Amino acid sequence: MRSSLRNPYIYILFVVPTLGLYALFFFYPMLTSVGYGFTDWNGLEETNFIGFANFQQAFADSDFWNAVRNNMVFILFSVGVQVPLIVFFAILISQVRRFQSFYKTTVFVPSILSTAVIGILWGFMYDPEVGIINQFLGLFGVETIYWLADSNWALPAVLVTNAWQWMGFYIVLVLAAILSLPKEINEAASIDGAGGFRRAWYITVPLIKPIISVIVMLSIAGAMRVVDIVLVMTKGGPVGATDVMASYMVNRAIRYGDYGYGTALSIMIFAIALILTALYQLTFGKMRERVEF
Amino acid sequence: MSTIFNRTIPHLILLVYVAAVLVPFAFVILSSMKESNIDIAERPFGLPETWVLDNYVTAWVKAKINVYFFNSVYLSVTSSMAGVLLAAACAFALTRMKFKRVSNWLYQIVLLGMLIPGNVLFIAQYILVKDLGILNTHWSLFFPYTAGAVPLSVLLIAAFMRTIPNELEEAAIMDGLSAIGLFARIIIPITMPALVTVFIVNFLGAWNEYLLANFFISKDALRTLPTGMVGFRDAFQTNYALICTGIVYSVLPVIVLYAFLQKQIIEGVTAGSLKG
Repeated sequence: MRSSLRNPYIYILFVVPTLGLYALFFFYPMLTSVGYGFTDWNGLEETNFIGFANFQQAFADSDFWNAVRNNMVFILFSVGVQVPLIVFFAILISQVRRFQSFYKTTVFVPSILSTAVIGILWGFMYDPEVGIINQFLGLFGVETIYWLADSNWALPAVLVTNAWQWMGFYIVLVLAAILSLPKEINEAASIDGAGGFRRAWYITVPLIKPIISVIVMLSIAGAMRVVDIVLVMTKGGPVGATDVMASYMVNRAIRYGDYGYGTALSIMIFAIALILTALYQLTFGKMRERVEF
Repeated sequence: MSTIFNRTIPHLILLVYVAAVLVPFAFVILSSMKESNIDIAERPFGLPETWVLDNYVTAWVKAKINVYFFNSVYLSVTSSMAGVLLAAACAFALTRMKFKRVSNWLYQIVLLGMLIPGNVLFIAQYILVKDLGILNTHWSLFFPYTAGAVPLSVLLIAAFMRTIPNELEEAAIMDGLSAIGLFARIIIPITMPALVTVFIVNFLGAWNEYLLANFFISKDALRTLPTGMVGFRDAFQTNYALICTGIVYSVLPVIVLYAFLQKQIIEGVTAGSLKG
């Protein structure tokens, strides 16, 4: 009985195709990335090893730091604005009886759609002449705003679109956590005369701290990855107002052929992601310790 | 009085949110059947002056939405099928075969992949598919999609396979099944719920993927829906009715799928992120 499950050839047959593919398209690019990052490769001229020159260039590249700053705005917006709203809506949904699953199903919809299509859809809504947003604001006498072409409005416009896409997803995550809490706690508080808001604030929120910490982490990771929505809606413009790290890196590499410099930028992005992860672990990460009931 | 009040307020607030989610879709569907931008601009939520269904034919045939659509369907289906099968085979070997030491190492290496944000590898993957000579073919998307799904798929499927009792496979092997037979005839059917979840997650990922599809494929006939749609929008900049039709075509299949499989989709997508 043992022979078959101990047959090394069968083991190899099962494991190698998967891991081989994974190694080729994941680990190999990781290694080559590190190599390219130290060269001046641009696809045309001879490639030279240039040490840390790319990284020096990156540190002095104000366009790159502008993109980093925009990424930080994405992170601050998702953690500072979206997360509180997510918790608020999740608690609200958890407290209604009727239509609960309707609310849950509906708010989740945008998160399964293609970011590219959402970008197109919202580009249409933001259209200065035809879009409904300006028409709606026009009812209150607001003058036409060129949302995606105005460097003051472009980033907020993209942020709102991004929030529209992802909030429902997180609401469902938090909602599941709330619904899995033992009901007795809330009932006891209710009998003791605590109103809805006080119950939410003093009982539910402390109990769901671990999941809040998880969605903070997912939001940070999501904000670091954001790129599709920017490429589709604004291509990083106007004049870099919505450029994020990944869109800047991709443009440098593909449009201008700066493969070496682009790869160095991607290593920088990875480093920034690591730093943020460390910061997260020191702050929100601590909330993940299990809450006992 | 106050209880009715207390009960309606949450619904009112939630309805505002639901409206914010649904209004864009309503706007798009209405606009897709209008004749011109003027009709859209003048009465955004009015019914079309004349119902124009031509847009649907035009977009499907002339604007080649049909081509993008089928490219997306078959790329997403094949890559997620391949991904599920490969991940299942790998997870089976790692969790059920008797090579504990090696398996533990391999498993850790696979999980390591989940730490790397995909964008970071973009340029190196671009160079790789270029060197392999598959740039501008569907293989340049098929392989990264399949490979990219490996870590999470193996994680989810392995977690499920660990819960299968040993006695079951012992009995199967006593009955004369080989490891391959055991995998195909016993383990795969039992693991089906996890496989479906993983398939859904991978399918949605491939269906919606934009970055690689945009830069790895430049032939129009090979484009997938997301990139095809963006090209379509850029080409018909001013014809919003037609663009809205395109949006309907790309959103509808996902919504239909969601209507039937919402429970599995919600579970799958959220499980994917939490375990990650």
